[in-house]
Amino acid sequence: MRDVVAGALVFTGERSQAGYRLNRMAMTLTDAASRDRFRADEAGYCAESRLTATETDLVRRRDWKGMLAAGGSIYLMIKIAGALGITLPEVGSHTAGITLAEFQARQKGG
Amino acid sequence: MACVIGGIGTSHAPTIGIAFDKNWRDQPNWSPLFTGYEPAQAWLAEQRPDLFIVVYNDHLNRFFFDAWPTLALGVGASHAQADEGWGKRPIPDLRGDPDFAWHLARALVEDEFDPTICQEMKVDHGVLSFLPLLAADITAVPVIPVAVNVIQHPVPTARRLFRLGSAIRRAVETYGPDRRVVVMGTGGLSHQLHGENYGRVNRGWDNDFMDQLETTPEALTTLPIETWMERGGTEGVEMILWLAMRGAMGSGVRRVHRNYCVPTNTTGYGLLAFEPV
Repeated sequence: MRDVVAGALVFTGERSQAGYRLNRMAMTLTDAASRDRFRADEAGYCAESRLTATETDLVRRRDWKGMLAAGGSIYLMIKIAGALGITLPEVGSHTAGITLAEFQARQKGG
Repeated sequence: MACVIGGIGTSHAPTIGIAFDKNWRDQPNWSPLFTGYEPAQAWLAEQRPDLFIVVYNDHLNRFFFDAWPTLALGVGASHAQADEGWGKRPIPDLRGDPDFAWHLARALVEDEFDPTICQEMKVDHGVLSFLPLLAADITAVPVIPVAVNVIQHPVPTARRLFRLGSAIRRAVETYGPDRRVVVMGTGGLSHQLHGENYGRVNRGWDNDFMDQLETTPEALTTLPIETWMERGGTEGVEMILWLAMRGAMGSGVRRVHRNYCVPTNTTGYGLLAFEPV
């Protein structure tokens, strides 16, 4: 099994292990009170979730592409995005290396 | 004796639930989705089903990677709605069928399928997105959720899903009380949630898939997981879950209904209803 298919990272066991902390933090955001605490103090929440400095920085910069490269699962990274009011098309476009407007233009075109 | 009276294959995109909750029925791009479910809902009501067995995948809402089952089965008397990260939808929790579910668990293990057995099974859009479009009252018919890993690789093969469906059929046919069972396989169709092809839909493959599922499902079972991802996207691999429904139908099917639409240009929304023949 290749770990990149049609330009997309395949969520392999290796990626899942590398991204475990980031994914675990995102999973806690399925709880409304945790979402409130994350929004109130992102850095504190990341520290409490024992993210590394690099992982915390990926979240701070909304670097969705970087989060996936670090082993984040798309299904969990959209929970981080959702807690911040960021939509899947914004996340998806970022991982494609284009802006949301560019993505929307591309979809209209075909 | 219980028997399988029908099968449903359906997409389970979260947007189906949003479209339902916000009643986008009259929006031009969404109305084909709503009208597409109507004949299936009418057919289901006529069939008077006693149980839905739904083969779907959890999207990190019930399970996490600390302990991530390849196959899991909900045996509880009810199945609560999971908060997926943005609060719950205004729909009721589902009813379960513990007696049938434990029978299913025993029969599957006897048949060499080994599910993680869950007395608490919160369900997500994999079950709940489309259900209100198929049933006017989603609590009227109990549901047994069967969750399959299609997210963290390695994921089961297409053939394994087809065989799971056959095993579900055998389990139904060995349940003593009369029960009319509909088996559902949910997911897809083509969608790519990230990477350079984010948003790609493969209409040709989606329609080929629905053709083949009806007439030559064995051919689909030979496709490697990588091929499913190349054609339908890394997330579109969910389509293999429809093979469990097809496996539960036996060799021949009569197609009752089929619908396909692409309201958002980012996912193919498919629907198939079969009766075994």
